[in-house]
Amino acid sequence: MLSAQERAHIAQVWDLIAGHEAPFGAELLLRLFAVYPNTKTYFKHLGDCPDEVLLLNHGQRMLEAVGVAVRHVDNLRAALSPLADLHAHVLRVDPTNFPLLIQCFQVVLASHLQDEFTVEMQAAWDKFLTGIAVVLTEKYR
Amino acid sequence: MVNLSGDEKNAVHGLWSKVKVDEVGGEALGRLLVVYPWTRRFFESFGDLSTADAVMNNPKVKAHGSKVLNSFGDGLSHLDNLKGTYAKLSELHCDKLHVDPENFRLLGNVLVVVLARHFGKEFTPDLQAAYQKVVAGVANALAHRYH
Repeated sequence: MLSAQERAHIAQVWDLIAGHEAPFGAELLLRLFAVYPNTKTYFKHLGDCPDEVLLLNHGQRMLEAVGVAVRHVDNLRAALSPLADLHAHVLRVDPTNFPLLIQCFQVVLASHLQDEFTVEMQAAWDKFLTGIAVVLTEKYR
Repeated sequence: MVNLSGDEKNAVHGLWSKVKVDEVGGEALGRLLVVYPWTRRFFESFGDLSTADAVMNNPKVKAHGSKVLNSFGDGLSHLDNLKGTYAKLSELHCDKLHVDPENFRLLGNVLVVVLARHFGKEFTPDLQAAYQKVVAGVANALAHRYH
């Protein structure tokens, strides 16, 4: 349950990311792999030393999905249902990995937004991203 | 023990020398209490923690945050013996304060986000990786004497 203020913070931050999904997503993945190397096991298709193009492509895809979530914040389950199916039946990413990705997401936000990254934004995005992770892992069993 | 290369140690210390420990401490503790409101359970004597503003401006939060971060800084000077450095504090957090060690991990993560906020691009993925190893090491050391 997101309050009106939390939704405002989510939209505000998204406005700063929109249009930059690829570089944002690429940096997110770079950080994920640098900090939590075990997560690379889920991205074998990106190769051992993922090149910039692959990271940008995959990063864009992930951030575009976040964009879908932003636009359907009231109905995440329906909007993310195909992605939830994908994660449950094909990708099967262990649920403990989602908080790792969320941590890296917060670090990207913080390092880019700096003074603009208020505590309220951090709180709203942590709640929002955790909500996405819940939906994506809900069909696992 | 933390597994940091020589370069990583230099990078960690290099960044730390630029950190305003008192400010960053208060901010990290404040953000923990706002982003993960259940952590307020340990700070009922701190007064008004009812809103984000109240938390971030609370003088007891700032003072305690500063204390915590100064202690963290001590750890940075003893990266090869974190368990020894934090032995007494570990006992205190278990026996007197009854703090679930999960909270050390949460605070460590918030600290990393605060460092990213202050240092921007300078807080590269490799520097983040080094700091995440350090905060994980400190959290483990603080949990080490739990029973």
